[in-house]
Amino acid sequence: MSRSYGRYALLRAAQAVIVILLAYVGTFLVISVLPGDPITNMLRDPQNGLTDDEIQQVVAHYGLDKPVVIQLILSLGRFVTGDLGFSLQSNLPVSQLLGDALPSTLTLAGTALLLSVAIAVVIAYGVQYLPSRWARGVLRSVPSLFLSVPNFVVGLILIEIFAFRLHAFTTIDPDSAAATLFAALTLAIPVSAPLAEVLIANLDHESRQEYALVARSRGLSQARLFARHLVKPSMLPAVAMIALIVGELLGGAVITETIFGRDGLGTVVQKAVTSQDVPVLQAVVSLAAVVFVTVNLLADLVSPLLDPRLDATSRRKATRERDATSERKLEVPA
Amino acid sequence: MTSLTGLVAPTERIRAAGRSAVRVPPTVAIAAVVIVIVLLWSLVPWLFTSYDPSVGDTAEKLTAPSGAHWFGTDHLGRDVFARVVYGTASSVTSALVAVSIGLVVGSVIGLASGFLRGAVDVVLGRVVDVLLAIPSFLLAVVIVSSLGFQTINAAIATGVSAIAIFARLMRAEVLRARGSVFVEASYLQGGNRLHALLGHVLPNTYKSVVALAVLQFGTSILVIASLAFLGYGDPPPASDWGLLVASGKSYATAPWLIYAPALVIVITVLSVNRISTWLRRTQ
Amino acid sequence: MTVSIDTTRPALPQIVPPARTSGTDGRPLLSVEGLSVSYGGTTVVRDVGFTLERGRSLALIGESGSGKSTVAKSILRLLPAGESAVSGSVSLDGRELFGLPERQFRPLRGRLLGYIPQDPSSALNPVRTIGSQAHEAAALTGESDARVRRRDILSVFERVGLPDPERVYASYPHQLSGGMLQRVLIGLTVLPRPALIVADEPTSALDVTIQKLILDLLSDLRRDLGISLLLITHDLAVAAERADSIVVLKNGIVEESGSSSQVFSTPTSEYARQLHADVPALNPDRYRIQRGAASGTTPADASPAVEVHAATKRFRARDVDVTALDGVSFTVARGTTHALVGESGSGKTTAVRLLLGLEQPDAGRIEVAGTQVHGQTSVGLRGLRRHLQLVYQNPFTSLDPTWRVSKIVREPLDRFHVGERADRARLVEQTIEEVGLPASVLSRRPGQLSGGQRQRVAIARALIVRPDVLVLDEPTSALDVSVQAGILELLSRLQREHGLSYLLVSHDLALVRQLADTVTVLQRGKVIESGAVDQIFARPKHAYTRALLAAIPRTSPGPGHPIA
Repeated sequence: MSRSYGRYALLRAAQAVIVILLAYVGTFLVISVLPGDPITNMLRDPQNGLTDDEIQQVVAHYGLDKPVVIQLILSLGRFVTGDLGFSLQSNLPVSQLLGDALPSTLTLAGTALLLSVAIAVVIAYGVQYLPSRWARGVLRSVPSLFLSVPNFVVGLILIEIFAFRLHAFTTIDPDSAAATLFAALTLAIPVSAPLAEVLIANLDHESRQEYALVARSRGLSQARLFARHLVKPSMLPAVAMIALIVGELLGGAVITETIFGRDGLGTVVQKAVTSQDVPVLQAVVSLAAVVFVTVNLLADLVSPLLDPRLDATSRRKATRERDATSERKLEVPA
Repeated sequence: MTSLTGLVAPTERIRAAGRSAVRVPPTVAIAAVVIVIVLLWSLVPWLFTSYDPSVGDTAEKLTAPSGAHWFGTDHLGRDVFARVVYGTASSVTSALVAVSIGLVVGSVIGLASGFLRGAVDVVLGRVVDVLLAIPSFLLAVVIVSSLGFQTINAAIATGVSAIAIFARLMRAEVLRARGSVFVEASYLQGGNRLHALLGHVLPNTYKSVVALAVLQFGTSILVIASLAFLGYGDPPPASDWGLLVASGKSYATAPWLIYAPALVIVITVLSVNRISTWLRRTQ
Repeated sequence: MTVSIDTTRPALPQIVPPARTSGTDGRPLLSVEGLSVSYGGTTVVRDVGFTLERGRSLALIGESGSGKSTVAKSILRLLPAGESAVSGSVSLDGRELFGLPERQFRPLRGRLLGYIPQDPSSALNPVRTIGSQAHEAAALTGESDARVRRRDILSVFERVGLPDPERVYASYPHQLSGGMLQRVLIGLTVLPRPALIVADEPTSALDVTIQKLILDLLSDLRRDLGISLLLITHDLAVAAERADSIVVLKNGIVEESGSSSQVFSTPTSEYARQLHADVPALNPDRYRIQRGAASGTTPADASPAVEVHAATKRFRARDVDVTALDGVSFTVARGTTHALVGESGSGKTTAVRLLLGLEQPDAGRIEVAGTQVHGQTSVGLRGLRRHLQLVYQNPFTSLDPTWRVSKIVREPLDRFHVGERADRARLVEQTIEEVGLPASVLSRRPGQLSGGQRQRVAIARALIVRPDVLVLDEPTSALDVSVQAGILELLSRLQREHGLSYLLVSHDLALVRQLADTVTVLQRGKVIESGAVDQIFARPKHAYTRALLAAIPRTSPGPGHPIA
């Protein structure tokens, strides 16, 4: 395993770096086709009180007087060395802005991730094993419902019920544990739907496999069959989905944070969009790409270690062929 | 007796042709009715309401739902049902635009990748990777902020962010169909690559792509509503569904301002998803 | 109410005849009465009844859709709950199984009633090691010490002929071959020493030589351990060879039952007689007379239809060179049938792909009707393929599901520009009739046809351009015996009428004996033996050929056998 796996890991990591760089380039190009010239407009805003000389300095620093291709190369060079530039709106370093916002969003997204997995597992188990056919049917349609409700509606309903009526939390203190939990729930509900769909399908598929029948023929109870045989093979393919989920969570944070009044990456994005704060926008998108690609890479690297079915195909074939030959040698006088 | 079995095969009965007569489950029928109504709202909204969506009677502001105003009235006394109905055109049409962009561009990329393989596959594969690497909603936000805050731009942004998912499905389906025995058989039957592509590969891929397109139609309605909710679509007095919810949340005493348009969104998307699921299952 | 389980039985491989105290009262071990099963209103098993004595074996035979697997699964109570309705009575060792609550039935599973599934490659959990799953079976003996259980497992693995028990114990299922996995499953099933084993087509997913070895193993264990066997099979010859009694099922109804020799030599039902006539192993000469006539018309001096000379093909899979075909030569004489025989991995599929120009040989010469195949441009290959057509093994994948039959059969005419456009439709109708299908299939899609009908459509498609050579790649292995016989009959007639040359690729020597004139036996990419069929069958030189021949079930029809 080690050699082929090592090569596979290296290849995947190189691929990931390339994708991140390309994502940066792509974002840069999208933002640079912006109508008008938001940066110089911003700089010339009299409220900034910058002199023409200072403006020239800034323009020269960002290479804004140069062609787009040169700007791109300079910008990419700064990105690779970790320099994300300064916010046009607040004049703070972008890295500091992101650093301040990150913990709040990570808490929110992390909690939401756990919640969405929990919701999906509960739904999938219920759909497979609830005793009442009717209850199974109702539960079966829940993911579809979750997929049909806009994120912001979920948030507004939760706030209406739990903050305004039941007073389980207040919107005045959006960083309290209770408020965070409900914000995370808002984020988790739409994300849990596709995960639940996959788990339901896998669990159904696995429980119809011959091995499940054989295990039952050995007298395993339903609970043991689920715990010892079905959980692992039906959950493992979902590991590959984790990156998609993380991406969804980062995207959904924009709306959830706005509704719940939290200060996080989503709010940073919101402000950057309204004020055309290009460096911030570029940085947030790149950060999201880095997170997505890294999580995806980890999922890809971990999956073959967890799931023996995925171990390097060459090895599988080689052993199988060796077995087949040795069996024939054993059984057929050659 | 035995020599006759070669001529006719009496034991093999032809399976009932019942497959061609498709049974439509009741929930799918209801979903289809909902979609038709919504499409009519967007085409001929004046047939469904006599109120003007942009002119209100301030004497009747913030009234609760009633026989006269099914969804109540807003802070200017405008009929909310009329605003929802007249907002359908941009909410739903823009979702159609978004799906068309994703479907056409994504399918072409996926088809080229899967059928031509080689360098084309590698290059297009990286493009798709990049599109996937940026969370789709964030990508849509960036694109719409670059193009300008209009509903049509929101639609384009949503469409671009959906290209990758279409490309991936199309590529997988093309690879599956291309590797199937009947495609190889068509080469042995004297067919060339173009014939295999048009005659065998495409007819065997379009069904799942159509199912995805329908699903993506629902998702696009949600994404565009979300963009409108954040204020990235047409500004008021436009009445995109997402925008209606956003402006409604300032009036805590009038919850129908939120729930009426929200309910319309949910029911529409639910119906679209139901049809997509049915299409996938009946393949 | 408690279920008493004898947990003191010694572990394998100490062979002790089972001393079941309850076994002497003369009651049958398994008794099935009035068993009916329906799925969603459709009755698939109707009023089935039979009994199985202790220590004996019974074969339940039938074709697909006969309900044989449903009967097996309802005895095991493994039918999907809520989707099926079961009525009737099944009593095992004096207990009525159907009335028993799940809580009381579960302890009987594995201990009294074992199950060997059809496809060993999917019968073990793919993400757990074999050892960890084996403990579930070993625990049924009541042994609580994991080390003792492990010892039991390893010794049973040895007993079923697994070469390296420790390695098998530590392996994941995908790391073992199908034959080894089936040995594992058999071992785990006999480990708790059940009174009855239900084996559902236990060898149909395996290569022929392995099939025989697995059936031998099963017979041995059964005899040594005194276990009763309910064998589910589609193969009349296997049933007659391996079972004491036979129950023949058709469309969920018992057509005939009785002792094996009785059902086999003097079948009373029309269906059993038909089955008997259709099994290739039992009717070696069925198509011989027709074939003889065909060969007689062939001019002896004509050049061969197909000539393959010293063809070699290597594949490179992940740094490992695999020689799929190693200097293989064979010829197909005009108007005759030549068979390529071998098991999976023998290179027979590669040989076909080279012949059709789907792959290029690394060395050697391939000619069809005097034209060379290798090194042809795609245009040259197209011209060649008019004369050389292929009938695929699986008609469920070789026909485009989105096309109607008329279009499928017409495709080669359009592609090769054969005849006038106006004539093509008529030619399609004519060919469809020739392969024994009604004109009504023309407007249908493959999904609306049965397997046999689909294979007839595939034959029509290959035949319509009037090729010289038809390559038949396991043309009947995906089909039921009676359907298979119809297809063979058709192929035999078409050869006679059109003077076609056939290259038959098969793993089934019984089929080869029925259909082919000459044969080449392949093993691991090399020719082991070749010559006239009669000669190879009478005097096989190579041990591998002998092993293949030995795999043909050997039940000889009784004297005064009534089948004509």
